[in-house]
Amino acid sequence: MINFEYTRVNSAKAAVAAKSKNVAAQFIAGGTNLVDLMKKGVTAPQRLIDINALPLKDISSDAKGLSIGTLVPNSVAAENKLVLEKYPLLAMALNAGASAQLRNMATVGGNIMQRTRCPYFYDITMPCNKRIPQSGCGAMEGYNRMHAIFGASDKCIAVHPSDMCVALAALNATVVISGTKGEKKIPFANFHRLPGDTPELDNNLQTGELITAVHIPANRFNRSYYLKVRDRLSYAFALVSVAVALEVTDGSIRSASIAMGGVAHKPWRLTEVEKYLIGKSITANVFKEAAEIGMKNAKTYQHNQFKVKMGKSAIVEALTKATS
Amino acid sequence: MDTTNKNEGRRDFLKKSTALAALTIASPALIKAGDNDEKIAAYFEKVPLELEINGQAYKLSVEPRVTLLDLLREQLGLTGTKKGCDHGQCGCCTVHVDGKRINSCLSLAVMSHGKKVTTIEGLAKGEELHPMQEAFMKHDGFQCGYCTPGQIMSAIGCIREGHANTAEDVREYMSGNICRCGAYPNIVDAIMEVKKGGKQL
Amino acid sequence: MDKNNLSETFFADDDRVDGLAKVTGKAKFTAEFKPAGLTHAVFVCSTIAKGAIKHMNIYEAKNAPGVIDIIYYLNCPAVPGYKPVDRIANPNARDFTGLKVFHNNMVVSNGQPIALVIADTYERAVHAASLVKVEYIKEKSETDFDKNKFNDKLLKPRPEYVRNQKDAWKNAEVFLEEEYTMPVETHNPMEMHATIAVWEGGKLTVYDKSQGPKNVQGELGRIFAIDEKNVQVITEFVGGAFGSSLRSWPHVHAAVIATKKLNRPVKVTLNREQMFTMVGYRPQCWQKIGIGASKDGKLTGIAHHAVSNTSSYEDFTEGISSVSQYLYDCPNVFTTYKILPLDINTPTWMRGPGPGTGCFALESALDELSYKLNIDPIELRLINNAEVHPQSKLPWTTKFLKECYALGKEKIGWHKRPTTPGSLKEDGMLVGYGMAVGVFGAGRNPATAKGILKNDGTLLLQSAVSDMGPGTSTAMVKIGSEQMGLEEKKVRFELGDTDFPTGPTQGGSGSATAVGSAVIAVCDAIKLSLKEIAIESIAGFKNVKPENIKYEAGKLIAANNVSIHFMDLLKETGKPEVQVSKSSSSFAQRDKYATNSFSVHFVKLHVHPVTGVIKLKHMVSAADAGKIISEKTARSQMVGGAVGGIGMAMTEESLIDHRYGRYINSNFVDYHVPVHADVPPMDIVFPNQPDYIISPTGAKGIGEIALVGVAPAILNAVYNATGKRVRDLPVTPDKLI
Repeated sequence: MINFEYTRVNSAKAAVAAKSKNVAAQFIAGGTNLVDLMKKGVTAPQRLIDINALPLKDISSDAKGLSIGTLVPNSVAAENKLVLEKYPLLAMALNAGASAQLRNMATVGGNIMQRTRCPYFYDITMPCNKRIPQSGCGAMEGYNRMHAIFGASDKCIAVHPSDMCVALAALNATVVISGTKGEKKIPFANFHRLPGDTPELDNNLQTGELITAVHIPANRFNRSYYLKVRDRLSYAFALVSVAVALEVTDGSIRSASIAMGGVAHKPWRLTEVEKYLIGKSITANVFKEAAEIGMKNAKTYQHNQFKVKMGKSAIVEALTKATS
Repeated sequence: MDTTNKNEGRRDFLKKSTALAALTIASPALIKAGDNDEKIAAYFEKVPLELEINGQAYKLSVEPRVTLLDLLREQLGLTGTKKGCDHGQCGCCTVHVDGKRINSCLSLAVMSHGKKVTTIEGLAKGEELHPMQEAFMKHDGFQCGYCTPGQIMSAIGCIREGHANTAEDVREYMSGNICRCGAYPNIVDAIMEVKKGGKQL
Repeated sequence: MDKNNLSETFFADDDRVDGLAKVTGKAKFTAEFKPAGLTHAVFVCSTIAKGAIKHMNIYEAKNAPGVIDIIYYLNCPAVPGYKPVDRIANPNARDFTGLKVFHNNMVVSNGQPIALVIADTYERAVHAASLVKVEYIKEKSETDFDKNKFNDKLLKPRPEYVRNQKDAWKNAEVFLEEEYTMPVETHNPMEMHATIAVWEGGKLTVYDKSQGPKNVQGELGRIFAIDEKNVQVITEFVGGAFGSSLRSWPHVHAAVIATKKLNRPVKVTLNREQMFTMVGYRPQCWQKIGIGASKDGKLTGIAHHAVSNTSSYEDFTEGISSVSQYLYDCPNVFTTYKILPLDINTPTWMRGPGPGTGCFALESALDELSYKLNIDPIELRLINNAEVHPQSKLPWTTKFLKECYALGKEKIGWHKRPTTPGSLKEDGMLVGYGMAVGVFGAGRNPATAKGILKNDGTLLLQSAVSDMGPGTSTAMVKIGSEQMGLEEKKVRFELGDTDFPTGPTQGGSGSATAVGSAVIAVCDAIKLSLKEIAIESIAGFKNVKPENIKYEAGKLIAANNVSIHFMDLLKETGKPEVQVSKSSSSFAQRDKYATNSFSVHFVKLHVHPVTGVIKLKHMVSAADAGKIISEKTARSQMVGGAVGGIGMAMTEESLIDHRYGRYINSNFVDYHVPVHADVPPMDIVFPNQPDYIISPTGAKGIGEIALVGVAPAILNAVYNATGKRVRDLPVTPDKLI
């Protein structure tokens, strides 16, 4: 790893100012993803701006919903009383990610910013349009078992690796951002991007901007479940995952919000399924039909064809678990 | 990826921006005639770091790129903390920072400024072993012993965090610590015993 | 020479003797020694699989801060042992077949070490290594095993084995033929390989992560033309190895090349990625089994074919299909084995080499046959139990395989196993039970040990072996303690230093019998010396023949009931200690006996009917390993082997992108080894029947049979749960949906 400058900042304003001055600077919080990428030579920031001293570590709630500071460690968020009571889906997803140690280090903001685990992205001797635009995609014709089945482009078929973000997508969260022009909010669905022709851009955060919090709106979901299918029982990225949030009254689904992980460049909302489920009763057939709808437009590659069947199974199972 | 130009550019950048800019405010005594660029750069590439490790205060000067793990092992001779992958994928490097278990290989040493670090060397009180160390011996919670310090540090964290109520819980919350010799069932037994012992860890 | 100070590591009761050092972090492993002036070195590795280096630009790296030197093919001093040997002068000499590091500009595998960057700090070495620029002349590489496994132009056949008819299985009343595949599996011990080499005053000292310090000493002496007595290898703690440290790899040579060139201590450390490309792996393997039986379950024929890969520059073989020659009583057996050279680094032995792979196929096929025959899988095995070795017709020294079936069957609750696959559910999960047999060769290798019995009542034992985790030290202390009638805490075993008497390489489950026999020989000799001292100096022993003196609990007792404790004897005769070195020879009755250890593994598991996720619920391993010397460590070894088997069955697979001939999952994120959550409660049972024919220790060895047979037991349980027969490892959830 090449050496770099290191500065600590005490306010969001100072952080934004420091980063705006230097395009090759990066924020560091938990460091669990960034330090790894630096060790692999995937990224080489000239300057690290340590934001850990920023006062963005609170979790608070009001009638409108819940706010989680960007620097809240994943483990703290997962065990927070308010989260457990009102958004158990988020706690489940957080606990499904990484390891206890990593969850103690990794922050909510950092989790949102984490980059893909595509092996071609991680190996700097391989072509990767995300790492070096126009260098080609190693995964497209290569080993693509872990790769996208939705929303990919001919430039990139990587998936977003986060579990937490899948739950946040299903919970209609908002990303709160501080920039040189002040504060702005981006709905979660619009935060991460599909690769398109610019896979180097994971999300719509602009240079110099800092995530300061995540806001989850109050909702009427009374059933939820996060299902993660992986190659070993813990400490592995998802083959597919499903976050289900339902409002169920008298055995009938009033509203539904479903997102999948491990299938796209961003947490993948199943909006068609959500529409379909409204007004339906809780039956195996309904869930089966929902799964068919959810996987309808999947596009597979050589090694990830199983994800369609597994995705269907996972949708059925997550809905079943949520409602049982 | 062609890193040549980038790196050359980077070194120039450091010299121009940080190092040279800082020269103007640094004590001239620090910069003796004849010092080459590298020595000057090296001086300015290091940052001060104060932290407490196993109850002992350290005042250090480290390169920002040095991880907490490498600081412990290579610079401070605290080799009880192990390197198993260097990428946060195995848990051998687990230490406590301000009482929380973390992977020291993914933590830059400079990020522990002002913090309290506990390593495996800091667990025993003189001859008296920590209950978790005793339990690991009793239940043979290791074979080669390489992942052991990380397992023990993580196990203490697991109980402190309240994740050792059932063996199933322990298995899940200890999954960040890989043991290739496969001592897992013995480790779980050791942790359950310490948990049942009820001592404040 | 800096070494671990383990004098304080006396232990209590049945604990591991080096446990205290391990739980306190005091145990120093190879990379943790710090000779004065130590330099840090890392490799630059090839990024193509085949071709030549056209140009290596080291200019920028050489000028990076802290860089001391960069060694590569253009400036590497000649290594004497890399030259072809003079067969006329030395008819027994063999050419060095391994990778000749920095010897020329040829690239034979992706990830091959092509330069060594030596710097004053680790960080600086790593960074400088990233600055080395390499231009290649690329050739088309071939790393695709599946594509080439039947390509006779590439395959190298090994001798066939035929017992009676080749194809008898085809004419059986009930038969099947199936193919079984296993991917590359990588040892991945938690401690990454490292070597520290110190060249000083014509003497070479090497700290190395090795399973055989004497082996490394001999090799380095030969390769670098240094008198063996001037080479010392220290390997006190080995953080796992499972076979990856059975031989010296390029980094060991590179460390020596560097320290000799620079006259400074050099530490070479590998990173996790390099653990996949430089220190061996279990080769990829394709197997086909044809097996037939009469309706009542008597096997009539087995044909077992295997192909596994090797590198382009070395032939690596292991006895894969040969398990079918002797595990069961079968009149007609035909086995073949071919190796396929690919542009990858050379594989090596990995825990349970040969039978580990072979039993996966044979024990799966037998399970399949049991369903076709509608005979319980254990019953089928009992019907075909080999009473004598089917190939040599020799009796086994000991064989308690039947006892293992009985013990394990009881513990797992075999009677609950559904005879119809997919028919049993528990909490909404499909339930399956499975079992399979493991086997490995047993024997006794030569070894030497030294014993020093002191007048303070302690016994110090020494042998130049290493202990990668099984608990060799613990077992040797137990043997020494039992032999000399001393408390275990009065006995110490020192290892991992070539200055000690020659011990064997730790591998093939042979440490306990080899070193244990030497320790027993040492103790016998010490007792004889004590008797001789007593006869010479103590009144009541005068004229008594040594064979008429008993040794009990530290006391010499003559027939006339005169007795003296050895401590008093030594004190009275003014001797501080008795010191003896003794060797024990290799097993010499191979013409009279067959020698094997056996295991039977039982698995109960759940399969999620919707997602295909497997959850192991309970595992039982029963092992006919001879006498159990140290129950606690023996049990741990069995548990560990089972965990290795879980990895083989369910998670592990090293993957190469054949377009680049490069591993794409050479890390612990993408190469899945089992974690805590994957591992169920386990029970280990031993018939614990000593085998005193193989060695006076009574042991037969545990390390390999702990793993051999575990994977098929899991796969058989998966079939029992789901009705899906998975013949391609590992069985990940996608294969069960």
